[in-house]
Amino acid sequence: MISGYWSGVLGMLAINIVVAYSVFVPAAAGLLNLGSAGFVLLGAYMAGAMTSLFGLPLAAALLLGSLTAGAVAFLISFPILRTRGIYMVLATFAFAEVVAGVLLNIPALGGAAGLSVMAYAGLPVLIPSAVAVVVAVAWLMRTRFGLSVRALHDDESVAGLFGVHLRLTQVMAFTVGGAIGGLGGGLLVHQFNFIDVQSTGALFSIYVLLYVLMGGTQTVWGPLFGATFFTLVPEAFRKLAEISPALKFLEAGRYMIFGIAVVLLMMLRPQGVITRTLVERLSGPAKPASSGRGSA
Amino acid sequence: MLGGVLAFVAVAFTLTIGMLNFLNFTIPALFMLAGMVTWALSVSGPHFLGFGWHWAWAAVAGIVVAVLASLLIERFTYRYMKPRFGDATEHALPLVSSLGFLIVFEHLAMALWGGDPQRFELPYKSTNWYVGELIFGVPHLISLGLAVSLVAVLSGILKRTRLGRALRAIAENPNTSTLMGVEVQQIVPLVFVIAGLLSALAGILYAASYGTVTPFMGDSIATDAIAAMVLGGLGNIWGAIAGGLLVGLVKVLAISAFGAEIEKIPVWGLLLLILVVRPAGLFGHTPIGKEKF
Amino acid sequence: MKNALSVSDVSKAFGGLTVIDRVSFDVPRGSRTALIGPNGAGKSTLFNLISGVYSVDQGRIVALGQDITKLPLARRIGVGIARSFQNIRLMPHLSTLENVMLGEHHFSPAWQLVSSARASQRARAALQEAGLHDYPGQVVADLPYGVQKRIEVVRALMAKPGLMLLDEPAAGLNSGETHELRALLGRVSASGVTLVVVEHDMPFVKHLCDHVVVLNFGRKIFEGSPQNVRKDAAVLEAYLGSADVMEDARAA
Repeated sequence: MISGYWSGVLGMLAINIVVAYSVFVPAAAGLLNLGSAGFVLLGAYMAGAMTSLFGLPLAAALLLGSLTAGAVAFLISFPILRTRGIYMVLATFAFAEVVAGVLLNIPALGGAAGLSVMAYAGLPVLIPSAVAVVVAVAWLMRTRFGLSVRALHDDESVAGLFGVHLRLTQVMAFTVGGAIGGLGGGLLVHQFNFIDVQSTGALFSIYVLLYVLMGGTQTVWGPLFGATFFTLVPEAFRKLAEISPALKFLEAGRYMIFGIAVVLLMMLRPQGVITRTLVERLSGPAKPASSGRGSA
Repeated sequence: MLGGVLAFVAVAFTLTIGMLNFLNFTIPALFMLAGMVTWALSVSGPHFLGFGWHWAWAAVAGIVVAVLASLLIERFTYRYMKPRFGDATEHALPLVSSLGFLIVFEHLAMALWGGDPQRFELPYKSTNWYVGELIFGVPHLISLGLAVSLVAVLSGILKRTRLGRALRAIAENPNTSTLMGVEVQQIVPLVFVIAGLLSALAGILYAASYGTVTPFMGDSIATDAIAAMVLGGLGNIWGAIAGGLLVGLVKVLAISAFGAEIEKIPVWGLLLLILVVRPAGLFGHTPIGKEKF
Repeated sequence: MKNALSVSDVSKAFGGLTVIDRVSFDVPRGSRTALIGPNGAGKSTLFNLISGVYSVDQGRIVALGQDITKLPLARRIGVGIARSFQNIRLMPHLSTLENVMLGEHHFSPAWQLVSSARASQRARAALQEAGLHDYPGQVVADLPYGVQKRIEVVRALMAKPGLMLLDEPAAGLNSGETHELRALLGRVSASGVTLVVVEHDMPFVKHLCDHVVVLNFGRKIFEGSPQNVRKDAAVLEAYLGSADVMEDARAA
């Protein structure tokens, strides 16, 4: 059986993967979300309240958390999509702060002290959820909707000329992202049996956006890489530090390596580690043209 | 009321955005570095840099470190801005890179000095003026006065000197400016130096006023300063001061009316509203950086 | 419907600069119309107005029997208007097949898998018609210029348009590619699609087109047959110094 330490790490990885995809879907459409914490908190508090205050089964609570976050994402997308570029980044950030502020002031949810829940979601829930999210998003990006998203990202007006509905596609992408974020939140609160606004705030949103962009938003594998790097590399450093006291600084600075990686990547390979061309090349040598099966 | 400290940081943000179209998330880290280095040097002890210098020298060192760090950002973040046609997220490069640097600096500080708050005592305890029911902390007033005069100087430079014209030309269009003979390579770092200076002064003032420093002390000031910047209009340095005062006012009113926990909502709710309805802010003219980061 | 496209008294100004000045012309259904004129005459702007990227300041545009003057951009393809661009505007990070499949996006359901065998087959067939492959394992940004240009044309064709606007489709193509393109466009026209082509390549225009509209400084200065355009005084004046036209004038 897996040791407690590793099951904790795997659990964190699963949650980070889910949250990564919540930022990936809008990012693939060109919308940067610096407020993912907002949707995660919404999902967490809703799901947590459902199991602890209303005694719902975990699955139902997770679903409700996801739907709530998705609904809020849908509603907020309309004003937020009126902003562009840096203003949109700030608007998503502001949104997350407003969510945090509102949740802080609901006494039934514990206020600043946070919400504790009894129901537990261990690996048997987390891993299938993460896998399901990856599969679902991979399928989504393979549909014409996914094509719309990627077309928008590359060239908005030409996409429009071929019938892609700019606003509708953006709203859908944002909503799907919010719903996935809500699921991530529901998983988070039931993995740690606790959620509070403090720990899932601005820094959380920043980390998520960074590791999604680090992984790359051109393909569906990017966020997987990003979440894995972010979860495992600092842990590797922590383990290394345990080997000898001289390496103690490695533990304290283990997130520094993540920051440095981000800076280097933005300088040298801004499209992220996993790009479309990389995936194409890895999936086999150049096939002869017009042979049998599809290539995309 | 954080008054001058907030104003300094807000002006640093708005200057960088107005001049360079760059939302620089490293500014709170520079703020923190100056504060922490000043603390570390001024207190003799086993910690990193615990040399026990006189606070004035420690402060100078703090400023120098912050400015150097700022130039580091210029070299490795801003210079790699490569706007490409049609791809919305690629304009975010400098912003994302600055976030990376923020993480590096915060965790560097944590690695060097630990995450716990450290006490920072200046020989001059804060004296207060009492006007009726209101308390004005003298350091706060001094910092506000400093901020206003600094902005007046900056504003004068921008409007009346050749340097200022060059800066404004670069803000309009860096490529054309180079063609017209503006030494972009030399002037852009200057903006980073000023931003670093402002952040550093703010950080030291903050540390002196509140008596504590931590590696994450930049975070809360950053969010208020960004709010102030947007309210005042991106790129508008007087607006940043006005925005800062407004943010402070909104917070105080909200706290006195509803209690401390509500404070996020009016500030960020107002910000969200402004971004959606009037991105130019209360005093801005054109929404600068509409498509850029 | 006699005309696939009717532009009536259309004007467009940017700031203080009038780019299109009360332009009116008709494009007969099934014709292959050339839209020519010196650089800066407003040809691309006109295309942008017809496809909806810009909106007209004044005037009317009727395409394929519908008044599209106020129709939003994303709805115009539904009317049957597709176009290609002067500077290549493919989606750089998508594959050839995906770019081409964007053409039939507007009449495909959102949940349809892009990698479905039937969709891929259709795309591949269309590419083969144009003498191209599906270039698997590459994104279009990596392909040669001449190939990208023709992929754009195929993309527009996939939309099953009634009216195709082609902005300098032959620019940058070598003579072999130009010949293939002309043959393809001939077949497309024979199948009933109306073509409007902006081109500077006069021999290309001469061999393909049966109707010509000439713009200069945002105004229409000629509309008629290719035989007559070479003799028209206003056109000659506009093109003064252009070797092709002078040569044609001498040959006529």
